[in-house]
Amino acid sequence: MPPYGSEPEGRGKRRDIVFAGVVLVLAFYTTYLAPSTQQGIANILQATVLRPFIATQVRLGDARLRAGQIEDLTAQIDSLSAVLATHGALVDENRTLRELVGLLERAGPHFVPASVLRPGTPGSESMFFVDVGRSDGVAQGAAVVAPHGLVGVIREVRENSAVGMDWTHPDFRVSAMLIDGTTYGIVDAARGVFREDDRLVLRGTAYNADVRPGTVVVTSGLGVVPRGIPVGKIDRILSSEGSWRKSFYIEPMVEPGSAIHVLVVTEGAEGDLAGAWPADSIATREETILRSDASARNPGGA
Amino acid sequence: MNEDVRIRAWVVVGLLFVLHFLLHVGLSIGAGAPDLLTVALLIGAREVGLGPAALLGLVFGLLEDALSAVSFGANSIAMTVVALGGGVTRDLFVGDSRLFVVSYFFLGKVARDLLHWLSVGEGVRQPFVEQVAVQGTIGGAYAAVVGLALVTVTGLTREST
Repeated sequence: MPPYGSEPEGRGKRRDIVFAGVVLVLAFYTTYLAPSTQQGIANILQATVLRPFIATQVRLGDARLRAGQIEDLTAQIDSLSAVLATHGALVDENRTLRELVGLLERAGPHFVPASVLRPGTPGSESMFFVDVGRSDGVAQGAAVVAPHGLVGVIREVRENSAVGMDWTHPDFRVSAMLIDGTTYGIVDAARGVFREDDRLVLRGTAYNADVRPGTVVVTSGLGVVPRGIPVGKIDRILSSEGSWRKSFYIEPMVEPGSAIHVLVVTEGAEGDLAGAWPADSIATREETILRSDASARNPGGA
Repeated sequence: MNEDVRIRAWVVVGLLFVLHFLLHVGLSIGAGAPDLLTVALLIGAREVGLGPAALLGLVFGLLEDALSAVSFGANSIAMTVVALGGGVTRDLFVGDSRLFVVSYFFLGKVARDLLHWLSVGEGVRQPFVEQVAVQGTIGGAYAAVVGLALVTVTGLTREST
């Protein structure tokens, strides 16, 4: 009598073992397939079952590559920005030096070029050093000028250097007049709450004097500073004292912080320097830059 | 109860299959990721008879061979034999004890690496010490830890009958 339940289990088990043997033989056979057949099977599997995983790898690889390229591009942009930033400063310095050379040619031999150095210490914001001194013919009270006008005056002279004060200093004052010579006054500094609010003021002008906004104010020569150096342009009225005197705010020709290369007037300079700043070319630094940018954009225009 | 365990086991096999190729192919992690395909095969082999287990091993092996640059068929042989071995343990061990689970996955992975090393051929394979003794042991330990954790978390054990 056959064992209960054993025969069907035995046949099934035998079939299972045979099937396993066939699969094992197939597994060994795959190593003997022709390379083209092996490649074909691989391609089919890669295109079907493995496709999403391969696509993920490709996408992640592209993302990594793009991230690397972005890093490189960012580094290049940073380098270019640094070059441009330096370039801008060089262009500016170049422009200033060319203007200074032109001024030196017009002004004559009694001007000596100098570089300005700011101490940067608290309380010395209106003071500066220049690298020329007594040996170069610089004297106390000498005017310090930039291409667009008066920067300040020398306070103390040493053998090879000097200390100056710019027009923002509380002790600065210079005798000045309107460029047409009709109205005289004293220009000094009016300190603001912040340094950016420091202004120049023309005081002591006659009440009935015709002083219009935009009129150029130059040094009058009634003092140590020679005549004809631009100081600023009339901005607006500050105050009037009764009916006999008026004061005006002046927009300065030169911002002291921008003056790095200057000319210092030496002993023996002429009393009238109006020729160094022709009336039709007097302009602030910003106006000059705007004009040159406009002419660069439109070279054929008036 | 056993049916519930069976379903859970195949779900785990499917997840391990996807995770293996996602880690190794999709994310290109390489040796840092465990050989989840062998772990999946070892779990799956104990759920079916010898024949289906061998077929599962052949399929898994062919998929690995499709991504292999050399010795097409080596993975197929290794995975088929490992699956057969796993299927045999189904009749010999219940599979409840932790010692068995750890040994099963460890030896299964080491055997897979050894069989692959043998099947690849002399001209291509790396030194035995490096590929089988060292990497195989590390891989086996990795697979044992992963397998034990999986079995513990998913409860893939059967009550003795």
